[in-house]
Amino acid sequence: MLPNDEYGLVKKMKLTRYCFVLLLYLPMVLSADEAQRYSDPNTGLLSWQIREPGFSMQLLQVLPDYVRATYSARGLPPDIVEAIAEYCVFGTIVTNDSQQQLSYRVADWRYVTPDGKTHPLKTKTQWVSEWKDQGVAFRWSILPDDQTFEPGDWSQGFTTVLLTPGSVFDLVYSWRYAGETREGKLEGLRCAPAALPDR
Amino acid sequence: MRLLRCRIAERRRYVTLLLGVLLPAGLLHAQLPVPELNHQLTQLATPVVAPNFTLKDMDEKSYTLSDYRGKVVMVNFWATWCPPCRRELPSMDALYQDFKDKSFTILAINQWESPDHVFAYMGQLEVFPGFPILFDRDSAVSQTFGVKGLPTTVLIDKRGRVVYRAVGGRDFNHPEVRTIIRKLLAAEVKP
Repeated sequence: MLPNDEYGLVKKMKLTRYCFVLLLYLPMVLSADEAQRYSDPNTGLLSWQIREPGFSMQLLQVLPDYVRATYSARGLPPDIVEAIAEYCVFGTIVTNDSQQQLSYRVADWRYVTPDGKTHPLKTKTQWVSEWKDQGVAFRWSILPDDQTFEPGDWSQGFTTVLLTPGSVFDLVYSWRYAGETREGKLEGLRCAPAALPDR
Repeated sequence: MRLLRCRIAERRRYVTLLLGVLLPAGLLHAQLPVPELNHQLTQLATPVVAPNFTLKDMDEKSYTLSDYRGKVVMVNFWATWCPPCRRELPSMDALYQDFKDKSFTILAINQWESPDHVFAYMGQLEVFPGFPILFDRDSAVSQTFGVKGLPTTVLIDKRGRVVYRAVGGRDFNHPEVRTIIRKLLAAEVKP
């Protein structure tokens, strides 16, 4: 038998423990449909994953130098390379997780900056048209901006927003699934830093 | 003394709980999981005639799609910089090795890159793919097939029609894919 004061303390500890566990699980319950954030243990670069009905998306920070390297290696002229490296770029994977047809249009997506203003993303069609005007027929690497996915289909490519390195914003995305257009919001996305910090 | 032990034990429990709850949830430092390659191919409700093309391989040898009429052809659009393209390559080669003597072939159509660049990339692979690698330097052929993203793969039947399509990386070395190819190979072509 424990003395009364020790018994009370143990009881208090148990109660604290239960509250602690509840508090730990609370954000997970509240954010069941929200993004999971990951951090690369080697680089510290962040990535996000959202899972919505039928639709999932991953966004990975891409460093400006990686963007430069990607386009330079394709032989694109330096002005084109620099133009895209000025953007905040995310490696993006969009997946049809369902057994039905699904579609999305990047032109319908928006990003919201901390001042509350809403902006359109720069789409693949816009980039390709710009490159074509400069005599370059390259049409890959940017996430296709208008896709209809059958079951099992998925796509990978860059998404681009005109923000400086390290900027924080919310992404409003939409997709069409089971006859309905649905919308989701990914809050607190952060552009990659200008460069990796020295480690 | 007993209270002190109790408090230390309590602290340990908190740490264990933190690790037990946060680690599986991926909220601590972790790498984003790479999407798995599935094996689903979509059968077209209405098959469409595959646009014909003539492209060259690394040795400047020409390949024309219509020459393969009467065979089953898998056409894969890819590039070396495309991660899912690289991931699905070994499964395509495994499929090719199993069916290459049975009126089946794979034509892997590279986008935009030079033969030298692709050759250097292939040199890094454990196994050099046995199927032809063709070069669509200006992406003209991929456009006729309506390819929006890489990789995209189509299966063409003996009549020269696109009958299956897959957008995104796949595991082609799968029994269900083999079953589809066997069915296409077994189909009779009426003159």
